[in-house]
Amino acid sequence: MGLKEFVTRRIIQIVVLYFAIATMLFFLFRAAPGDPLAAYIGTGFTQEQAAQIRATFGLDQPIHVQYWKYMTSLVTFNFGLSYITGDPVWGIIQDRIWNTLVLMGTSVILAYLIGVPFGAYLAWNRGTKRERFGVVFALISRSAPVFWTGLLGIWIFSFKLGWLPAGSMSQPGVTYSSKLAQFTSPSFLRHLILPALVQAFYFYSLPALLMRNSMLEVMNEDFVDFAELKGISDFSVMLKHAARNALLPIVTAFAVAAGFAVGGSVVLETVFAWPGLGREMVRAVIANDYPVAQATFLILAGLVLVANFLADLAYGYLDPRITYD
Amino acid sequence: MSDQNKTALDSESNVDALDTELSTWRERQADAWRRRLAFLKREPMGLAGILILLAIVLVAIFAPVIAPYEPTETDYGNSLAPPSAEHPLGTDSAGRDIFSQLVFGARPALQIGLLSAISVAFVGMNVGLVAGYYGGYVDDALMRLVDFAYGIPFTPFIIVLVALWEPSKWTIVGAIALLLWRQTARVVRSHVLNLKEKPFVKSARTVGASDRRIIYRHIAPNVLPLVFLYGSFAIAWAILTEAAISYLGFGDPTAVTWGQMLQSAQQSQALARDAWWWFTMPGIAIMLTVISAFLIGRGYEEQLNPELQEP
Amino acid sequence: MTLLEVNDLHVTYAGDPAVEAVRGVSFTLEEGETLGIVGESGCGKTTLAQAVMGALPDNGEITGGEIIFDGQDITHLSNRQRREIRWERMSMISQSAMNSLDPVYRVKDQIREAIQEHRDVSDAEAYERSRELMELVGLDPDRVEDYPHQLSGGMRQRVIIAMSLALDPDLIIADEPTTALDVIIQEQILYRIKELQRELGNSMVMVTHDISVVAETCDSMVVMYGGELMEAGNVDEIFNNAHHPYTLGLQNAFPSVEGEKRDLTSIPGSPPDLSEPLEGCPFASRCPFAAPECEEKVPVREPVDGHRVRCHEPVPFEQIRDRSGEDETWLSQNKV
Repeated sequence: MGLKEFVTRRIIQIVVLYFAIATMLFFLFRAAPGDPLAAYIGTGFTQEQAAQIRATFGLDQPIHVQYWKYMTSLVTFNFGLSYITGDPVWGIIQDRIWNTLVLMGTSVILAYLIGVPFGAYLAWNRGTKRERFGVVFALISRSAPVFWTGLLGIWIFSFKLGWLPAGSMSQPGVTYSSKLAQFTSPSFLRHLILPALVQAFYFYSLPALLMRNSMLEVMNEDFVDFAELKGISDFSVMLKHAARNALLPIVTAFAVAAGFAVGGSVVLETVFAWPGLGREMVRAVIANDYPVAQATFLILAGLVLVANFLADLAYGYLDPRITYD
Repeated sequence: MSDQNKTALDSESNVDALDTELSTWRERQADAWRRRLAFLKREPMGLAGILILLAIVLVAIFAPVIAPYEPTETDYGNSLAPPSAEHPLGTDSAGRDIFSQLVFGARPALQIGLLSAISVAFVGMNVGLVAGYYGGYVDDALMRLVDFAYGIPFTPFIIVLVALWEPSKWTIVGAIALLLWRQTARVVRSHVLNLKEKPFVKSARTVGASDRRIIYRHIAPNVLPLVFLYGSFAIAWAILTEAAISYLGFGDPTAVTWGQMLQSAQQSQALARDAWWWFTMPGIAIMLTVISAFLIGRGYEEQLNPELQEP
Repeated sequence: MTLLEVNDLHVTYAGDPAVEAVRGVSFTLEEGETLGIVGESGCGKTTLAQAVMGALPDNGEITGGEIIFDGQDITHLSNRQRREIRWERMSMISQSAMNSLDPVYRVKDQIREAIQEHRDVSDAEAYERSRELMELVGLDPDRVEDYPHQLSGGMRQRVIIAMSLALDPDLIIADEPTTALDVIIQEQILYRIKELQRELGNSMVMVTHDISVVAETCDSMVVMYGGELMEAGNVDEIFNNAHHPYTLGLQNAFPSVEGEKRDLTSIPGSPPDLSEPLEGCPFASRCPFAAPECEEKVPVREPVDGHRVRCHEPVPFEQIRDRSGEDETWLSQNKV
């Protein structure tokens, strides 16, 4: 099977998976106990008024019609209206997708840039005190919940030292001509540093520990000994042969890491009041704003799947042995 | 050496062997356990993990004895008190004793961690065994289910489930178990694929053992170490997840949990008010519990994978 | 001129228990000649080759004796100095050649890496050289574009040979270069190695468990057992006039190349435990001719100039030779 076929098949698989997840979500919300509009309708409404409100949100229609409308919204992005504000859902979340992508993208890239060399370093120093200490340190980062390190970070860097803003994404009242202009502004970058570092401090441990294990395995391979035999310097052997081969499983783990990153946005964004999808979802779930909650969930799930797909492609690129079948 | 001598020696050692055989059934049992636990000696990190976890379990069991106050007992005259002899780790904005809350917080954390790990191990192992053993359509179907579980964003899914149903620890455990089995299933399955080709499985099949018997008597014991490994990681994930859920405000409102302490700390401006004892301690408690599970799993993993062992 | 001289070499692997894998082996290799080192697996021959190459595993160490290469004592050179000699002056075709190529790089890049690590050569020149080398070992030069997994085992082995020739080294050490391959390809590759060596004039050390390979490819030979030298000398001399029961046993165990075919008889028993010191002959416990004196230190004797034997000869060697031709001698466990 060629690359083209592989990509096509993978895309079809992912689309099917996506619709399956969307279907599960639809029935999850419909099966939930209680009336989603209970908070909205309240006690002071007459029967007619209540029915009218239901009609506005399409809740008077039979379930299969609702399901059809819901599934088409995956393609049209017409996710309906917010129960709370009455605004179109897409308008509310559109902007936030980018905010989440930039924050999570930055932290995952940072995590890999730190974690992979760190893991290689640990493997290289197998059996030393440095290695033990490094592994324990990585495990500590992995055990410290992000919302806690986030709080500590805010306390130290914003309240005590006053170096960085405590939260949110930009100074209030400032408007930008475009998203790009906003993302490249110094104020935005200042707001980005702390949350990105806090998340990266958690995420780096996964590539680091995986890279260590993977390197140790590769270092036992004959071709590493052979490279040494060829008179190649230790550093080159480690970098060009051991690390290069050890990287393969790390790429697969990228999909998992990205999945966690996307899901983790609900926590990180809440700590730092970052106006992204995750925080919006928490708000919507608390407020029983089902259309917004559903839409944010669907976008997050879509991002997870896209990350999976990209990891597949990268793996095929890095490992010449992959035959795509 | 002459043949005579040889025979003499042989019969002597035969008697020896018989003797040992008769007297050492117990010893061998003990040996098996010693071997199972031997990794602790070689893995000081694993030992540290077990000791930490044991300490936390003891704290959880004897919480009412250890805690000086009722964790929910308010004392507004004494709010935000820094650590003192009276309140060893200070109080929160409602004057509740931080130390007592920490002690009682160990209970839900451990309950959720262990219950989730058991469910994850149970589901993951069985899915992996069945998929790997039967192969074909069964395998395909179950592996698509694993893909499905991997495609769902973890924390958001749990938030939705907990928010739509009731915010109790049972819902949280159920939600975690619904997704987290995916990794165990995958790992077990690929291991079963290898085991299936081993002579002992093939000979069991020739003898006419039922599928069920082969799966659970012959294959399952060989994947148990892996299940244990991923189970210990599941404890860690479950505790972290529960803490995050509580922090976000979706936890059981009647329970005292570490995540909830951090939520109320942030909401009550503990950072701005410099009440460090309030927002540092719960995090340390979470971290210690989680790291103990990671350390145990990791120590065990190093033993399972000979390539990771010291040369 | 003498290219390689190994004097009373000892190699020990640290550990519990420590293993002394090579126990006082000496030999010399003349320029342009091929020396065979033969013995069963576990007798220290690979360790010997690795020690010469400076590629002992981390826990292995030269604990005695010396290695003199082209007049220079290289026994205790630093890693760095050793690395400079390695591949540039002596290269190795290793035992596990099947897995010696890095799966993620193309053949041309792996050959280029070896060349450029030692010489200041442009990419284009290195590429030309890699094509040349492929042709030299009988492969299609276009296969340099392939990844290792696209090549068969025999082809990979040829690539390794090509690589070992890349810098035209003075000495090539071939450690069981064909064990992983099937018999027909083994023949082809051995033939090719021998041909190239004649053509290019490098010296070679051929490590093998198969004494018939030595007969085919070598000028002189060393028979090793239990980390010690049993017999050494010119190949013709040893094949026509072997003294040591072990050598005779090995000759018996592999089909003879020149003479008539015999049944394959392997020597019963297995090599000694190298973690224990041994005073007498290491082969005594398996030797059909062993006598009490074999428990004592064995002197090296030279029946003919350049032919060394370490054996007490409990019975006259003519008798040993006659009787070792019969399979019953080896199969019966009875000792004299």
